[in-house]
Amino acid sequence: MIRSLRIIAANPLSLTGLILVLLVVLAAALAPWIAPFPTHNGAIVDFAYANQAPNARNWMGTDLVGRDIFSRILYAYQISLLLGVVVLAIATPIGTVVGLLAGYLGGWAEAVLMRIVDIFLSIPPLVLAIAVMGVLEPTLTNAMIAVTAMWWPWYARLVYSIARSEREEGYVLAAEVIGAPTAHITFREILPNCLPAIITKMTLDMGFVIIIASSLSFLGLGVQPPTPDLGSMVAEGARYLPDSWWLTVFPGLAILLAVFGFNLLGDGLRDVLGVDE
Amino acid sequence: MLPVLRILLRRLGISAVVLVGVSMLIFAIARVIPGDPARIALGPSASAEQVTALRAEMHLDEPLVAQYGHFVSDVLRGDLGQSLYTNRPVTRDIAEFLPATLELVIFAGILMVALGLPLGILAARHRGRWPDHLIRVLTLLTVSAPSFVWAVILMLLFAFYLPLFPVAGRISDIYEIERITGFLTVDTLLAGNFAAFADALHHLVLPAVALALSGIGQAARLTRANMVETYQKPYIEMAQAYGFFPSRIARSYAFKPSLIPSLTIIGLDFAAMLGNAFLVEAVFAWPGLSRYGVNVILRKDLNAIMGTVLIIALTFLIVNIIVDLLIAFLNPRIRHSTRAAS
Amino acid sequence: MSDILDIRDLTLAFKGHRGLTEVLHGISLRIAAGERVALVGESGSGKSVTARIILGLLQETGSARVAGQVAFDGRDIMAMHPRDRAALRGTEMSMIFQDPTSSLNPTFTIGRQFAEVMHRRAPRLSRTACNARATEMLEEVSIPDPARVLDAYPFQLSGGMNQRVMIAMALVNHPKLLLADEPGTALDVSVQAQTLRLMHDLVEDHGTAVLFISHNLGVVREFADRVYVIYRGRIVEEGATDAVFHAPGHAYTRALMDAVPRITGVGLPEVPEVSDAFLAPMVRHGSAS
Repeated sequence: MIRSLRIIAANPLSLTGLILVLLVVLAAALAPWIAPFPTHNGAIVDFAYANQAPNARNWMGTDLVGRDIFSRILYAYQISLLLGVVVLAIATPIGTVVGLLAGYLGGWAEAVLMRIVDIFLSIPPLVLAIAVMGVLEPTLTNAMIAVTAMWWPWYARLVYSIARSEREEGYVLAAEVIGAPTAHITFREILPNCLPAIITKMTLDMGFVIIIASSLSFLGLGVQPPTPDLGSMVAEGARYLPDSWWLTVFPGLAILLAVFGFNLLGDGLRDVLGVDE
Repeated sequence: MLPVLRILLRRLGISAVVLVGVSMLIFAIARVIPGDPARIALGPSASAEQVTALRAEMHLDEPLVAQYGHFVSDVLRGDLGQSLYTNRPVTRDIAEFLPATLELVIFAGILMVALGLPLGILAARHRGRWPDHLIRVLTLLTVSAPSFVWAVILMLLFAFYLPLFPVAGRISDIYEIERITGFLTVDTLLAGNFAAFADALHHLVLPAVALALSGIGQAARLTRANMVETYQKPYIEMAQAYGFFPSRIARSYAFKPSLIPSLTIIGLDFAAMLGNAFLVEAVFAWPGLSRYGVNVILRKDLNAIMGTVLIIALTFLIVNIIVDLLIAFLNPRIRHSTRAAS
Repeated sequence: MSDILDIRDLTLAFKGHRGLTEVLHGISLRIAAGERVALVGESGSGKSVTARIILGLLQETGSARVAGQVAFDGRDIMAMHPRDRAALRGTEMSMIFQDPTSSLNPTFTIGRQFAEVMHRRAPRLSRTACNARATEMLEEVSIPDPARVLDAYPFQLSGGMNQRVMIAMALVNHPKLLLADEPGTALDVSVQAQTLRLMHDLVEDHGTAVLFISHNLGVVREFADRVYVIYRGRIVEEGATDAVFHAPGHAYTRALMDAVPRITGVGLPEVPEVSDAFLAPMVRHGSAS
């Protein structure tokens, strides 16, 4: 662990990623204390300051009803990170179990499970999430459900490909010979070998979940106002381009910054953990 | 039988299975919908009799299996039902909006390949040195923002700040182009109107770049990774030992064999653009499937939602088949195999 | 000066995390025109890197530090511009690799790869001329149906067949020096022996000098006129093949020979232990200098 951190810190790119991720996490966690206008995360209006360009009072300007954009971005990070963590916390175990079973058991389990995975993978991810959101009400919880529904198959496929190659390895055969139960072999013998790939993918995916979730809310199918969300902030502001550019540019850059951080960190982890692309 | 033909048949078989699965998935999603589709369609002012009548017409009073049967037989006859939003057949709506989306996606796909692969090759040739590091940071940056953010940034920079490109739409109002294929770049050429063609291309640039940016990054990173792996192969050393030019080794010895594993993923990225097109179209007021799709979703227009998703899944499968054939064509091991390809 | 290759006091070090690691500690080696010389040692002893220095490949990597004298056909390789070194490769010198099948480009036909090699010498050679010449070469390595082989991809041919193809390719431009790095080690023993005999006859006919790199003393005995034994980046014994085999003078050579299984050409000899005697000074047979 310490050693891994040291390797990451030695690479300027990974270190930048780590710092960006820490910044975003701290910004989200400390939002109520560091936001200049902590009440602006809700349905508040302050028309005296509506639609202000960036200035000393509002570093990133204000939106159409006078709320401080910087404060809202800090709160929006809370939503993005929460969504990412919840989605991955549900999608990863589901995908991992499906992938392990398909990869280790082979035969019918493999054929059926992987065909189901194929079906999910044959609809472009965003379209699937949009379709799920289409039948559900646009709320934060439903957005999590929609994104989870499109996410687990990718883990199933990743774990499946590793498990299938591990199945032939000597240590698995040895465990079979001594009569170890299937559950033991899959979770105690094969799973640890999948972990580096899973951890790397989870880091990279934190960024991609943020992208997909903000895309949903950009289309009006995700988190609803007045809850601050980076995607819906961009969508709202896009109508007022180019004059009120700060409405879109800062939330857009906020997405870029967070996702870039997770990507840099994930890229570094891949090298540390020796995972193939 | 020709190996390529066998691959095509096998792929079509798998696609058919997947398509059946997709239809079941879509059907299942549609049936999860809270509330009565007939009531939603008719609105709160309709009478109970009207609702019952529409329920019967939509087969909603029958068991689920029977409902699925109706759905499938309708789809097979090319009937995706009526859209509640436009009051027109869904197939007609899709035929109207799909070409604009496909045109955008195809141009973005061309950009992805035309820029992503050379960047990846460049990075792999100079692996570990500054061009590699630079390309790594740049491509990581392009994949780090959703395409609507790129769309907004590009629009601000190159349509407003530097007014090089039009802000929105597919073509300027002054051109009246007869609709033949629905692809404006094709229709303008068919009409022999080159000024209109140039104008349509001009309108395509910003949306296509916005849509392609993350794909370019993905393609470049993938190409680099696979090429770096190929550079470890003995035949690269053999090529060096025979004194071939580094550029020639990069192209014929490192890139070409490494393209084969890259292609599948590039196909997936291309298909992902079908989804991301929704985002870019919204920013550039591009009259494609996006606005239609979002509107029918907000109105819970079941038939239209199911039809749209089904068409996108079908397009995706066609892209996959093309990619598989391309791989078979590029890979002599498949092209000349006498055994079943796996 | 009749030497085709003259290496003097060659050192090689790799730049790593903790400074330089020296791999070759000043080796000297020469090959006369048309002579077959073997460089024998365990893996990691520095034999393969020597071949890569002769080709000029290692000089172009950032991490390698090469010093000493390498003269090829009277020309100083070390002082050459990388472009001039590249011009020698594939024309004046060529190389044969360990695993023939994976050393050929999987996406090109044999014919196309032949043409690429021939274009190193004659860039404007027509396709028909290339094919005719390749057919001739394939016949020389006793390939029964050259036309079919030229149209085939490497994966469609057996390892032995690809090995012959590689030998033919290596000799098609009439190089003065052929570097053979553990040729055919990936193949069956009998196939390997057969192709080596073929290569032996062929280089004799063409008058090509060969640096034969191997860990396998049995194979070396069949093939080479003269032997250098390398141990940890130092030449420990040198002499005519018969002399070295009949009266190995260095402790390491004796250990290596004791480790060779009696049947010709089986497996990697494993020298069981490291002995101080292995670090003894070099032994020379006869008047080779």
